[in-house]
Amino acid sequence: MSIYFYNSHPIYKVDVLGTVVYKREREDFFCYGVDDGTGVINCLCWKNDRLKEEEDPNKSEGKHSDAAQGAFSPVIELKKLKQAQQKLCCLEIGELLRVRGPVKTSRQQREIMASAYYKVNDPVMTAQIAWMMEVPQLYRLCYDKPLLHSATSVTALTPISKAKDIIQTFFKQRSVSVFRPYDVQDLLQPLISCQTQTTSVDEEPVAGPSVCQQLRQLLRETLEILHKEGIIYRKVKSQDEVYQVTAQDKDLLITVKDIIREDSKREKYAEKGCHILHILSAVRQRFSLNVNRAALERVLKSLECNSDIISTSGDHYTMF
Amino acid sequence: MLPAAAVFHFPWEIISGSIQEGESVRTFGRLVSYQSEESRATLSAQHASKEHNVVVHTLFVEPFNPIIGAQYIVLGETENAEGVGVMIRARLMNCVDGVNIALLQKAINEQRRFFRERECKQAKDAQPADAM
Repeated sequence: MSIYFYNSHPIYKVDVLGTVVYKREREDFFCYGVDDGTGVINCLCWKNDRLKEEEDPNKSEGKHSDAAQGAFSPVIELKKLKQAQQKLCCLEIGELLRVRGPVKTSRQQREIMASAYYKVNDPVMTAQIAWMMEVPQLYRLCYDKPLLHSATSVTALTPISKAKDIIQTFFKQRSVSVFRPYDVQDLLQPLISCQTQTTSVDEEPVAGPSVCQQLRQLLRETLEILHKEGIIYRKVKSQDEVYQVTAQDKDLLITVKDIIREDSKREKYAEKGCHILHILSAVRQRFSLNVNRAALERVLKSLECNSDIISTSGDHYTMF
Repeated sequence: MLPAAAVFHFPWEIISGSIQEGESVRTFGRLVSYQSEESRATLSAQHASKEHNVVVHTLFVEPFNPIIGAQYIVLGETENAEGVGVMIRARLMNCVDGVNIALLQKAINEQRRFFRERECKQAKDAQPADAM
C-alpha cells in the first residue's frame, strides 16, 4: 500500500462526497467516478456478499405463500432489508455518493479503495452545501497547517513534560524518598543535547545559554512544577535544598493518618469528618509548614485507596 | 475515460462568455421553458436585479420530467451554439426544488475564497526567502 502526504500530514483514509459521473460494474465491484467540483476520482466499491447473491424466484415464492396475511414474516423483512441495502450501494449516474477509504495508485491513476460507501439522498442539496462550507474550514484549521511533531503523540511532549516523566520514573524505580537537585540533574542531560542537535551544522554558533545553564534551567522549572503538583516538597527550607518525594514519605502519611484519627473522634468533626483545610493546617503545625494542598491531596488519595480513611463528602475525611 | 471535474459557476458567469468552450461546468437555475422536439431547456437565475437565462441541451439526459418553475442543477460541457450563444450540453440534470439558492451561492463563494487564499499562500511560499 502506498503512503500519501498532504502538506506533511500522512494520509490514512480520505472521505469524499460527490456526484457519480461514471459507472462501471463488474461481478465483484462497482467502479464509480465521483465528481465534487474540485476533482474527479475513481472509487472502487466492493460488493458485499448479499449484493452478489442471485435471488431464486421459486424459493421466495414458496416462502410467501407460507406467511399468513398481516403476520410478521422474517423472510419478507430480510428480503426488504436486502433490497434497501442494494439501493444504497447500487448508484446511477447523477446520484450522490459518500466514500471513505485509503488511496492507491493503479495504472498511474489515483483511486479510492472504498472501505465504506453509501448513496446520499440529498433532494435540496443540504448535504452538499454543508460539505462545501465545512471542508475548507477543515483545511484551514488542520490540513493546511504544518503537522506539529508534538501533536502526533498522546501527551504534548514538551521538554518539561518529558523531564517530569524521567524524574518520576526515577523516583519509582529507586523508591526515592529524599533527594537533592544534583541527584536528578544528570537524568535530564539527554533532553538538552537532543535540542542542540536539531540546529543545523551550517549555522553560526549563537551566543546564548550554555548546555549547563539550559540544564539547570530545565531542572529548576521541572522541580517547580513537581512541587506545585504536590509530587515533591521541601520539609525544611534551608540552604541545603532537600526534597521529599510525597509518595514515599512515610512520616507524612502517618502524621496525616494520626490527625484524622484523633480529630474524627472529636464531637466537632464526628458527623461530617475533617475538612481538608483543617487537616492541612494541622499538618503545617505539627509536621512541616511547607506542605501544600496538592501534596496533602496525594497523601489523602493514597490513604483512601488503602481504605485507611474515608471521604465523607468532596473535601471531608474521616476514620472509623 | 473519466470526464473532467465540473466546477460550479454562476449562470451569469456562463452566459457572459468568460468560460472556455468545452469546459465542464455545474450550474443552477429555475426551469422556465422546455422544448422537447429540440431537446432544449432554459434555466433562469436572478442576480443584481436581472434575470439571467442559460440554455441547456438536454439530449443526453432525456427522458427527463420537466417541472416548470422548479430549481435544477445542470452538469455538462459548454458549447457555442449558433443563434443561442453559450449553451450547456448536459450530462446530468437534477431537480433540486426547495434548495436554498442563497446558501448555495454562499457555499460556492466560500469554496472559491478558500482556493484563492491557498493559491496566494502557495505563491508567497514559493518566493525565495530573504537572505538573513
